[in-house]
Amino acid sequence: MGNRPFLRSALAFYTLLFISFLYAPFVVLGILSFQAGPEGGPQFPIIEWSVYWYEHIFGLTPPSRVAPLPIGEALIRSLSLAFMTMVTSTVLGTMTAQAFRRRFKGSGFVFYLVVLGMIVPGVLVGLGLALVANNLGISRTWWGTAYVAHVLYTFPFAFLVMLAIFNRFDRSVEEAAWSLGVTPMRTFRKVTFPLIFPGVLSSMLFAFTLSYDEFPRTLFAAGADLTLPLAIYGTFSVEIHPNIFAFGVLTTLFSFSILAVYGILMSLSVRRARRASIQEDIE
Amino acid sequence: MTAVLELKNVTKRFGGEVALDRLSIALEANEYISLLGPSGSGKSTLLRIIAGFEKPDAGDVLLEGRSLAQVPAYRRGIGFVSQGFALFPHLSVFENVAFGLRNREDDPLRDGAALRRRVDEMLGLVGLADLGDRGTDQISGGQKQRVALARTLVADPKIILLDEPLGALDANLRTRMRVELRRIRQQLGITFVHVTGNEDEALAMGDRVAVLDRGRLAQISDPDSVYNRPESARVAKFLNCYNMFEGRCDGDGVFQTSGASLSCSPDGAGPGMYCVRFDKIKVTPAPAASQAAGTGIQATFITSEYSGPRITYFFRGPGEKVLEVEYHLSHQRPEEFSVGDEYWLSWLPDEALVYFQ
Amino acid sequence: MDASRDSNALSDGGSERATAESVRTEQAARQQARSGTSSARSTTAMLLAPGTIWMLLFLVVPMLMMVYVSFWTQKTFSIEPTLTVQSWVAFFSSETYFAALLRTIKIWLIVLATTFALGYPTALFIGLFIKNKTLQTIVLVLCVVPFWTSFLIRVLAWRPMLGKEGAVNIVLEKLGLISEPIEVLLFTEFSVVVGMTQIYVVFMVGPIAFMLSRIDPSLIEAARDLGAGTWRIFRTIIFPLSLPGVVVGAIFVSVMVLGEFATSAALSGRKVNLLGNIIVTQVGSLKWAFAAVVGVILTAVMAVVIAALLRFVDLRKEL
Repeated sequence: MGNRPFLRSALAFYTLLFISFLYAPFVVLGILSFQAGPEGGPQFPIIEWSVYWYEHIFGLTPPSRVAPLPIGEALIRSLSLAFMTMVTSTVLGTMTAQAFRRRFKGSGFVFYLVVLGMIVPGVLVGLGLALVANNLGISRTWWGTAYVAHVLYTFPFAFLVMLAIFNRFDRSVEEAAWSLGVTPMRTFRKVTFPLIFPGVLSSMLFAFTLSYDEFPRTLFAAGADLTLPLAIYGTFSVEIHPNIFAFGVLTTLFSFSILAVYGILMSLSVRRARRASIQEDIE
Repeated sequence: MTAVLELKNVTKRFGGEVALDRLSIALEANEYISLLGPSGSGKSTLLRIIAGFEKPDAGDVLLEGRSLAQVPAYRRGIGFVSQGFALFPHLSVFENVAFGLRNREDDPLRDGAALRRRVDEMLGLVGLADLGDRGTDQISGGQKQRVALARTLVADPKIILLDEPLGALDANLRTRMRVELRRIRQQLGITFVHVTGNEDEALAMGDRVAVLDRGRLAQISDPDSVYNRPESARVAKFLNCYNMFEGRCDGDGVFQTSGASLSCSPDGAGPGMYCVRFDKIKVTPAPAASQAAGTGIQATFITSEYSGPRITYFFRGPGEKVLEVEYHLSHQRPEEFSVGDEYWLSWLPDEALVYFQ
Repeated sequence: MDASRDSNALSDGGSERATAESVRTEQAARQQARSGTSSARSTTAMLLAPGTIWMLLFLVVPMLMMVYVSFWTQKTFSIEPTLTVQSWVAFFSSETYFAALLRTIKIWLIVLATTFALGYPTALFIGLFIKNKTLQTIVLVLCVVPFWTSFLIRVLAWRPMLGKEGAVNIVLEKLGLISEPIEVLLFTEFSVVVGMTQIYVVFMVGPIAFMLSRIDPSLIEAARDLGAGTWRIFRTIIFPLSLPGVVVGAIFVSVMVLGEFATSAALSGRKVNLLGNIIVTQVGSLKWAFAAVVGVILTAVMAVVIAALLRFVDLRKEL
């Protein structure tokens, strides 16, 4: 199959088209974010190239009829929430996957229970949590109900990543540590954890970005203080302006910087493992 | 001598399969035991049960008379060197050896200078004095083996379990490591249990050789007895140095196998296995005049294989059966046989071993 | 007994081979060996407890609560725990709401078809035609990169694409293919389908490409040597082997599309109401009981779809 030159180039061309289809919206919002302001609308053609809408986001433009995006506090909330979610779901995912290294009764049940968190539609998770919270008289907050909902979503991802990591993990190094008189707890800290660290990092990346951009679960669960995606959703119903595209470009750049941090940490940990530095930390 | 480690009726099943079947064995202090067995004989399982990585389904393991049933692996003080060496890939050679001293539950060594001294001393013992700073991927297979050994030895275990320790090394290195192991062992005086699937290794290393077969102890004795007087046909087979003929003997000193009748000692009757060692066979051109000198079989020469101290000749006997003949070149001269020619392979009936079922 | 001896006699590799075999079987035994001691069992329980409790308490209980509340009595701005089927009757007797159910299923089926049709050739190219593993990963990552843009903003970007004065119309007019701008591109089911396809197609490509990349090339060569044509090879070997990937992809896409409401809210101008949109509007007007009814119906639809798809694959094995 691989040596059919015509088929091959046809499929390659198609894949190119396919990828441009995936990128089209991003390109469009990239272009339109440089629309002239404040009179330029969120459509083609570009009246005049400008960075007006970027300045608008940071409040550097004179007041106009276009209200500034309500993102300041929402951004802080989203970042804090993503961080909390990241830590919790990575810990839960690692623990649960660690338990799965041993066969136990009911493992199928637990597996599907955890995976359910990524299967159940967000809107239902949010609705259910809101109903429970209302009924118990708990007020819905981004750091309470929404946090809980986010972990429901990201924990399964962390779990699956760690499960895959443990599947390839050579347990004989742990046994070696035990036979040297090291307790299982310390063995986990000193041997297992350093070796699964790349997986932990990937779980963290997953959890952070999924939570940062999470919308359907947050909608009912967050209460009065909005997270970033909720703030953006709020602008849907009214007229949209190119400032939202400028903001889209900025959040994308932010996402890429997280990806870059992940890449750096990853290569560092890989290199550390390879170089096998002498650690002189005698506790 | 007292038993340092004793296994009593240890049974272990995996699913429906029995890995160990009521196995009992006692190891004495400062003894080197080779555990020989084919794949699936349960030898690695046995080792893992002693180490505490598996729990026996029944039976007990006693260390210096104390039951280990409730003692987890990390409190047994039994060293374990696994076949893949299982070095900590994120630590240097030095740190690998220091790991146990530094992190063990019982009296961890916190003094940097003392730690360094002990580790360096151990690295010296295994001949890795200069490689402490290397990463585990920057050393050769033989060096990895030494690191694994040093890491275990430095913890001062009462017993060291070696799970096919030389299996991952090439033949040349394997011979050198054998010498090395013996030297280290003499210097330290620890009990070693060495699991192997290789009969040469088992015979060369062990003060005693235990042969495991289908989860049971088939024989345990000194290497010489195992080699010269295997207790069963199966043990003879694992030794990989016997030509074996299936057939029956009717108590008249004649063993009937397909295509040949062979003489044997006249006691015993019934279906059985007739075994004759590779190096007990004499080859003469067929038909031989001197058939009276012993018993024998007619076979076609196929090929030979030279391996330094000895040469092995391969023949095809009755029923397409391949027979091996070994000449030890220190007291025999190699002979030229021509491929396809018929030869008479003979031996003394006393040298043959017959096992009845 | 003698047979094994014979086969090894000429190779002299007997003992080495036996060693290698023993490694394999002993390792298999090791894998099997997960029989727990009581302390190991309690460790397992301790490790499992937090995650399991989290899922039970915050996912299973709320879902059950939703079922329960769907039978509560709906007052104008509040609900009372008096059991009734009033909200259920309201759902099925209302043409609007029942239509939303049908529309949800329709959009789901269409998006399933479009993601499959658009995604399969790409997966075929990545999984079968790119031999280099690194390059494979690079192209897959290239497909995932758009996900690093905010989901909502990405959806919104279709408006200037498909609108009356949007990019598509401008390009088509410039090319002389149309004289009047096409108006039905935006704020219709079409735009919703386009938006969803763009977002979810990657979830179809990934699993299929993965399955395809595992096909042994010698299998295809063997078929070719036997004189099978490209189409026949595809139909009898490649496609059947990629099916588990298609099913896993379908599960991903179904799960996400069925619960959707943001894309339809952003791209349909509130004309295309899916079950998700109805839940949002009902909650917005504090009709909790009614929202719960819609939620239960959506759950039921999901359950049927997932259960049907799971009949074809074991998720635990594929993930």
